Amino acid sequence: MSERENTRFLRRTLFLGILQLFLIVILLGRMYYLQIIEGSHYHLLAEDNRIASRPLVPLRGQIYDCKGIPLVQNETSFRVVLLADQKEEIEKTLETLSGIISLSEEEKEEIFKMMKKKRALDSLIIKDNLTWPEVSAIELHATALPGISIEIGSVRKYPEVLQGAHLLGYVASPSEKEQIDDLMLSIPGLKVGKGGVEKYFDSRLRGTPGRSAFEVNAKRKVVRELHQIASIPGEDIHLTIDARLQAYAQDVLSGYESASAVILDIQNGNVLALVSTPSFNPNLFPQGISHKDWHELRDNPYVPLTNKATSGLYAPGSTVKLFVALAALHANIIDKTSTVYCPGYIYVGNHKFHCMHSHGTVNVSRAISESCDVFFYEIAKRVGIDRLSALCEDFGLGTGGLEGYPHIKKGLVPTKAWKKEKKNANWTVSDTIQVGIGQGYMLATPLELVVAIARLAGGGKKLIPHLEDEGNVSFKDMGYDQQHLDLILEAMIATANTPSGTAFRWRIPVEGMEMAGKTGTSQVRRITMQQRKAGQTKTTHLPWKYREHGLFVGYAPINHPRYAITVVVEHAGGASLAVQAARDILWELQRFTKKSGS
Amino acid sequence: MGTPTLYKEKWLMTIDFTPSLFQQLARLNWNIVFLILSISAIGWGLLVSAAGGDIHPWALKQVIRFSVGILIMLTLALINLRWWLHFSYIFYGISLLLLCGVEFLGFIGKGGQRWIDLYVIQIQPSELMKIALVMALARYFHSQSYPIPFHKLFVPLTLIMIPAILVLRQPDLGTAMILLMTGGTLFFLAGVSLWVFGATFITISASIPILWSFLHDYQKKRILMFFDPSQDLRGAGYHITQSKIALGSGGFLGKGYKQGTQASLNFLPEKQTDFIFTLLCEEWGFIGGSLLLCLYVLLIVTCFRIILTTQNDFGRFVAAGMTVTFFLYVFINIAMVMGLLPVVGIPLPLVSYGGTAMLTLLMGFGFVLNVGLYRTLKIPRFSIGVF
Repeated sequence: MSERENTRFLRRTLFLGILQLFLIVILLGRMYYLQIIEGSHYHLLAEDNRIASRPLVPLRGQIYDCKGIPLVQNETSFRVVLLADQKEEIEKTLETLSGIISLSEEEKEEIFKMMKKKRALDSLIIKDNLTWPEVSAIELHATALPGISIEIGSVRKYPEVLQGAHLLGYVASPSEKEQIDDLMLSIPGLKVGKGGVEKYFDSRLRGTPGRSAFEVNAKRKVVRELHQIASIPGEDIHLTIDARLQAYAQDVLSGYESASAVILDIQNGNVLALVSTPSFNPNLFPQGISHKDWHELRDNPYVPLTNKATSGLYAPGSTVKLFVALAALHANIIDKTSTVYCPGYIYVGNHKFHCMHSHGTVNVSRAISESCDVFFYEIAKRVGIDRLSALCEDFGLGTGGLEGYPHIKKGLVPTKAWKKEKKNANWTVSDTIQVGIGQGYMLATPLELVVAIARLAGGGKKLIPHLEDEGNVSFKDMGYDQQHLDLILEAMIATANTPSGTAFRWRIPVEGMEMAGKTGTSQVRRITMQQRKAGQTKTTHLPWKYREHGLFVGYAPINHPRYAITVVVEHAGGASLAVQAARDILWELQRFTKKSGS
Repeated sequence: MGTPTLYKEKWLMTIDFTPSLFQQLARLNWNIVFLILSISAIGWGLLVSAAGGDIHPWALKQVIRFSVGILIMLTLALINLRWWLHFSYIFYGISLLLLCGVEFLGFIGKGGQRWIDLYVIQIQPSELMKIALVMALARYFHSQSYPIPFHKLFVPLTLIMIPAILVLRQPDLGTAMILLMTGGTLFFLAGVSLWVFGATFITISASIPILWSFLHDYQKKRILMFFDPSQDLRGAGYHITQSKIALGSGGFLGKGYKQGTQASLNFLPEKQTDFIFTLLCEEWGFIGGSLLLCLYVLLIVTCFRIILTTQNDFGRFVAAGMTVTFFLYVFINIAMVMGLLPVVGIPLPLVSYGGTAMLTLLMGFGFVLNVGLYRTLKIPRFSIGVF
C-alpha cells in the first residue's frame, strides 16, 4: 500500500473501532434500561412465572344442639386426585386406575369435563370417599399411576337418628352460578350449605381458605412448596335445637304420611325442634347425589324435599279463632259474657254457612273450646277485616318467622287492599266470615302459627324466634289487655282439659304438665251441598290428597306457659292426629325436662 | 548478540531466519490469551450454574474442548505467517467443498443441515468458512495494487457470495449474516469507495422482498416476532419474552450465583447456549453483564492494536477479519437476547456451550496472535508462491 492508502486503512480501522465501541455502548444502555429502569417490573414478571398457589379448603364449623351434642360430623375422607402437571397422560392413567378401583363411564366423562374447566395448577378430584381397601390398592400400585395421589379431606356426615334434613340442610359443591358470584367458592373441594341451618349460617360455618404457594417450573410442574398460609376453620354454631326432642318429634310424626311440627320456648323464643316429615337422608348430598336417588326424592308424592314447617302454607282453620276472639275483645265488641245463638248455620246474604252442629247459646270461652263456627262468623263480621288482619299480623301471621332462614314462606293475612290488587274485586262480608274461621284466603305456615301461640301464651309480647341461643332476651309488649289474653288462654285450657273440649281425648293427665290448645282443620276442597245433604261432613273417606289437614296449636304447661307447639298433619281428615302428636311431644318434652332437672 | 531491539529487528524482518519456540512464546501477546481465559472461565462458571451446580453435562466438557482449542490456537499462532498466506486459498477451497458436502452428507439437526459427520468429530463447515473466507479475502487484498479498481472487486465478491448463499440454504441466517458483514468490512478496510457501499445498500434494500421469499417459515416467524414479541407469548415470542424477563429481573446485583429462577426453572430456553448472557445477567445483574462486556471490549481493543501496528497487508486483513467476526458474535448475540435483534442462533463467543463455535473463534485468535507475532514482517505483494 502507498502511504496515502495506508493512512486511509488506518483511518477506516479507527472508524470501525469507534463504531464497535458505540454499538457496545448501545448494548450497555439496553442492559441498563432492562435491568435498572425496568428491573422491578421484570422482577415481578419473573416471580409471577415462578410462583403458583393452590387454595387450602378450611374445615367447616361444627353444629351443636342446646346441650352441646354435635349434630353433624366432619369425617376424614380419602380421595384420589390427579395432579395438574400430569394431565396430559390422563387417559392412560384412568385406564390403569379403573383396573384398581371402580370407575363408571359416567364418572370418567365427568372427569374429562372438569379437566377442561380447571386451571392448570388445580388438582382434579377423580373419586371422593374412597374405602380403605381402595386406598391401600392405590397406594400399592402407586408407581404405575403417575400424578395420582391420595388426599385427605373431610366429608360432612349427618347422624341418621336425627333425620334433621330439613332443619340442618346439607352441604354440596357450589353451583356454577354460585362460583361466579363468589370466587372463593371455586376452590376445589369446598362445599357450601344448601338449605337449613347449613345455609342459614353458611358464611360463619365456612371459614377462611388458606393458601399454599409453590415454585413451579416452565412446564408448570411443582418444584417445591414455598410457604403456606393455613386455612381458618369455620365457626362452631350452637343451636337452640334440642336434639333429643327433635328426634322424638320426628319419630312421632313419622307415623303419618306427611306432617310438620315446630316447638318454641315461650320464654326466649328458642326454636327447640323443627320437624318436617317425610324427611330424606342428607348424607346423599355432600358427595353428589345419584340421579336415581334424586328422582325418587323429587317425585315422591309426600314431597320430602320441602320443609313443610317453614314453607308449608295451610289455611289455619279454627286455630285462627283465638285471634278473632282476641280482636273482638280488644276492640271491645264483646266481653266474656257476650253470647251468640248457634242454630248450626248462618245466612250471609243468601249464602248459608254451616257449623258442625247446633251449639245453642255460646259465649267466647265455649265458642273456642267447642269450636263453634257461627259465633266466629258473627263476631268476625262485627270486628271487620281491617282490625282482624292488623291483629293477626301483630301475632306474626303472614310475616314468615325466622328471618333469613332458607326456604321460608310467608303466609297470607288478606286485607281489602290485597283483594283489590290481586283479585281485582271488592272485599265482601262473606270473605270476612271465612277469615273468621281460618278458611278462605287466609294462609299460614306452622312456624307462623307457633310464633302466634307463643306470643299469645307469653303475655302478648312480640316474641322473635331464633335458632341460635341469644341468652336472656326480653321482647316488646304489644299492648294487649292481660285479662283478654287470659280469657283466650283459659278457653284453650278448657279445649284440652274439659270433657266438651275438642282436644279433651288427648289431654296430658299429669298435674303440672297439662297442655292447652286449639284444634283446627284446613279444607283442601269445599264440602259440596250434595255431600252435606248425604251427611258427608267428614272427609276421612275421600282419597288421601282431598282430605282436610289437621292442625293443632298449643302450649304447656298451663300454669306457667313454657313450650309452644304447632303440629300439622296433612290430609289427616281431622285434627285428632295432630292433637295426639302434640300431646305426645309436649308430654315427652316435659317429662324429660323434669327428669334432667331444668 | 547486540541490543534486544536490534535482535528483534533481525529475526522479525528476515524471511529465512526462524526464531526458537521459546523466543516466539516470549513475544506472544499474552494479554489476548489472558482475556480469552478470563472470558471462558466466566462461561464455565455459568455452565455449572445452568446444570444446577453440576460440572456435568456441560462445564467439564467445555473445559476439555477449550484445552484442546487453546492448544490449537497456540499452534496456529506459532506457524510462520507466510505459510498461512500460501495456504489460504487451499483452506478456502477445502472449506467450500465441505460446505457443499453438507448438502449430501449432512444430517438434519436443529432445523437445518448444518453439520457434517466425519465419524470422529462433527464439524460445521460454515464455521470453518468464517475463517477461510477471511484468509482468502486477506490474501486477495494483499496481492492487489492500491487503489483497487472496481472490476477487481468481482473476485472477492464471488468469494463471499458462494459460501453465503450455501449457508443461507442450510438454512443458517446468522452465519450468512456474519459472512456477509465480515466480507463487507474487509471491503471497507481495503479502501473500496463509499459510493459502492451506498449503491449496494440500495440494491439490497430493493431486493429484500425477493430475499424474504427465500427464507424459511421459522426464519420469517423469528423476524416478524422480533418486531412484536408480545404477539405470540407461548409460541415463537416465548424465547425472547422470557429472556427479557430473566435479564431484567436480575436488576443491579443479580439474584446470586445459581439463584436464577428463570434459568433453573427452565423458563429461559437454551440457557447454556444462545441465551447464556441472559443467565449471566439474571444471576450477576448489571454488574456481571457489564464486566463481561468490558472484557470483550478489552479483547477487541487489544486486537485493534495489532491491526494498527501490523506492517503487512495480509496480516492486517486477517486480524481485522477475525476481530470483526468476533465482534459480530458478541454484538448479535447480546443484542438478540435483549430483544434488539431477531433471534438468529448466534452463540456468545467463548462463553456459550458448544465445541465448533469455540474452536472457530480460538482458531481465529490463533491467527490474530500469529499476526501479532509477525506484525513487523514485511511481505511484498508478489512474493507468494504458486498457490
